[in-house]
Amino acid sequence: MSTTWLPCGKYHETYTQDHAWWQTTFIRGKMIALFAVLFVGIPLLADDYGLSICNNVGYTVLGALGVQLLIGYCGQITLGHAAFLAVGAYTSTLMILEFPWPQALLDWGLAYPISILVAAVVAGIWSVFFGLPSAKVKGFYLILTTMAAQFITVDFIITQYVSQIGGRGQAFSLPVGTIKVGPWVIDSDLKVYFMMLVLSIFLIAVMVNLLRSRVGRAWVAIRDNDISASVMGINVFGYKLLAFFVAGFIGGIAGAFWISNLAAISPEHFPWSWSLWLVGVILIGGVGSIHGTVFGSIFMVVVIEALQLVIMQFVDTSWGSRLFMDFLFIKEAAFGLVICAFMIFEPNGIAYRWWQAKNYFNLWPFSY
Amino acid sequence: MAAGKEIQKGDVLLELEDVHMYFKGVAALSGVSLKIRKGEIHSVIGPNGAGKTVMMNCINGLYRPQQGSVSYKGERVNHLRPYQRAKLGMARTFQKVEVFGGLTVLDNIRLGRHLHYRAGVLSGAFYLGKAKKEEIEHRAFIEEQIIDLLEIEQIRHKPVGMLPYGLQKRVELGRALALEPELLILDEPLAGLNLEEVEDMARFILDINEEKRWRVTCLLVEHDMGVVMDLSDRIFVLNFGNMISDGTPDEVQNNPEVIKAYLGEEDLYATRR
Repeated sequence: MSTTWLPCGKYHETYTQDHAWWQTTFIRGKMIALFAVLFVGIPLLADDYGLSICNNVGYTVLGALGVQLLIGYCGQITLGHAAFLAVGAYTSTLMILEFPWPQALLDWGLAYPISILVAAVVAGIWSVFFGLPSAKVKGFYLILTTMAAQFITVDFIITQYVSQIGGRGQAFSLPVGTIKVGPWVIDSDLKVYFMMLVLSIFLIAVMVNLLRSRVGRAWVAIRDNDISASVMGINVFGYKLLAFFVAGFIGGIAGAFWISNLAAISPEHFPWSWSLWLVGVILIGGVGSIHGTVFGSIFMVVVIEALQLVIMQFVDTSWGSRLFMDFLFIKEAAFGLVICAFMIFEPNGIAYRWWQAKNYFNLWPFSY
Repeated sequence: MAAGKEIQKGDVLLELEDVHMYFKGVAALSGVSLKIRKGEIHSVIGPNGAGKTVMMNCINGLYRPQQGSVSYKGERVNHLRPYQRAKLGMARTFQKVEVFGGLTVLDNIRLGRHLHYRAGVLSGAFYLGKAKKEEIEHRAFIEEQIIDLLEIEQIRHKPVGMLPYGLQKRVELGRALALEPELLILDEPLAGLNLEEVEDMARFILDINEEKRWRVTCLLVEHDMGVVMDLSDRIFVLNFGNMISDGTPDEVQNNPEVIKAYLGEEDLYATRR
C-alpha cells in the first residue's frame, strides 16, 4: 500500500494518509472507472455468453482466493481446495432443500444468504480439520495430506453418503425460485453476475485488509520463515489453522455462490482436477499477489474460451468435429502447456508483468 | 509486559541450571549453569562448535534440554514454546539473518510488535475501529522509537531481501526491539559486518542497554573479542559444552584455562586488533 508513487511535490503528512487505499487522485479515478465498467459497462454491453464467461471468471477468482491465501501468503501448499468448495455448495443446497425454513425468511429471500454463511462456516471448520497435519508436516508431505481432503470429502463422503440424502440420486436439482436473495430471484446470468461481483469485491477487500493487519502479517511471516515467526511471538500452528479456516470459509462462499449458476449440483462439479486448476490459476497469475489471483482467473478462463471458439470454426470438418468432441481433454492439455510456459518464461506470473508495466509508466518518459 | 513480579536491576533475570542437551549421543551442552542479572550485558564466547547457539536455542525454546532447568524471572520455563517465551519478554536475533525477505522493513518491524497488536480476524478483515486505530498508533511508535534509533529511515519501504547484509542485521535488531523485550538474545550480531557497521551496531547495543527508554538486558554471543571485552559486564566462556569461566572481562582475560583452551598462548586481543 504504502509504496505508491506520489506526484512530484506531494507528501503525506499523517500516517493515516500513508495507510490509505487510494492515495492519489489518479488512482481514485482509475478505480472509479474500473467500478463503472464492472457495474454498468459490462451489464449493458455483454450478452448472455459474455456474462457467463464473466461469471466463470468470478467463480475462479472466489475459488482461487482461498488457494492464494494458503499457498501464496501462508506457504501451506494445498491440492484439495475443491473439497471445500464442494462442502460449501452441498451445505448450502441441503439447507435450501431440507431445512424447514420459516415462511417469513423465505418471503424475505433470506434463506439462501443465510445458507451461504452457514456453508462458509462449515467449509471453514472442515478445512481446519484437514489443516491439522500442518502442525507436523511441511511442503510435499502437506500436499499429500491436503489431497486426502479431496478424496475423503468429494469421492467418499459426498458421493457415497451425502448424495443419498433425500433419495434423489446423484445430482441435487434446485427448484426454480429457491435461489433468492432479498427481493431478487437469481435466475439469469445478469443476476448471477451482480451477485458474483459483490461477493468478489467484498472478499478481495477482506483479503487485502487482512494482509495489512496483524493476522495477515503473521501468515506472511510463517511463509517466509516459520522459526523466526515463532520467536517473534507468533503461534505458528494456531495461525496456520486460522489460515485454513479463512481459506475454507472463502471456499465455502465460492461453492455456495456457484449453485446459483447451476441447475443441479453433483460431485462431478468438484473434481480433483479443479483443485489443481485453482493452483494453476495462482501460479499463472502470480503467487502471493491478489492482482495475480484475478489476472490468473481471467487469463485461464479466456484462454480456454478462445481455444473453444477457434475449434468451433472448424466444427464442420471431420477433424474439427473430432477435436470439438474431445474438447475436455484438449482443455486439460492446454492448461498443462500454459503452466509449463509460465514456469519457464515468467515464473513470477502475470502480476509481476503488471507491476513492471506500472512502474514503467510511473516514470515514463524518463524511466532511467 | 509479562506476568509475575517486577524484577529490579541486579536481580537474576534468567537462570540456567545444569542444562544438558544431547543430539543422539553428541553432547552439545553438558551441565551448563548461567545466571543473567537484569540490566547487564552478559556475553557468551567460545570456539566454533562450543555450543553457544545451542545454548541460545535452549533459552528461547527452539530446543528443549533433556536435563536441567531454564528459569526466567524465577519461574521454570522449560515447557514453554518459543512464542510463549516471547510473551514473557524474550526476543532474539539470529546468527544467519532470519528476516522476512519478502516484506518491507516496516512490515518486518511491525511483525516484531505482533504481541502488542490486538486486532483479530474480524476487525482486521474490515479494517475498522480497533485494527485501523492500532495500526496508526504502532506506526508512530515504530517510526519514533525504532526506525529513528537505528537510522533506517530511508529504507523503510524497501523489501528486506533486497537490502545488503549489514542493513538486514540492523532490521533484525529493530524487529527484536519492537517486541519491547526485557531480555534480548543477540546471536553474533557483528558477524560479517565491516568495521563501520560493527561500530554502529556496538553503539546500538550500548544504547538499548543503557538508555532509560529501553534498559534491555542483553545476552550477547560474539567472536569479536575487542567488542566483547569493551561492552560486556560479564563474560561466560564455553568449550565443548562445558563452562570454563564466568566472570568480569578482566577475570576472564587473565584466567589461564581460558587462555589455554580458547585463545591458545597468544594475547586475547590478537583475534581482531
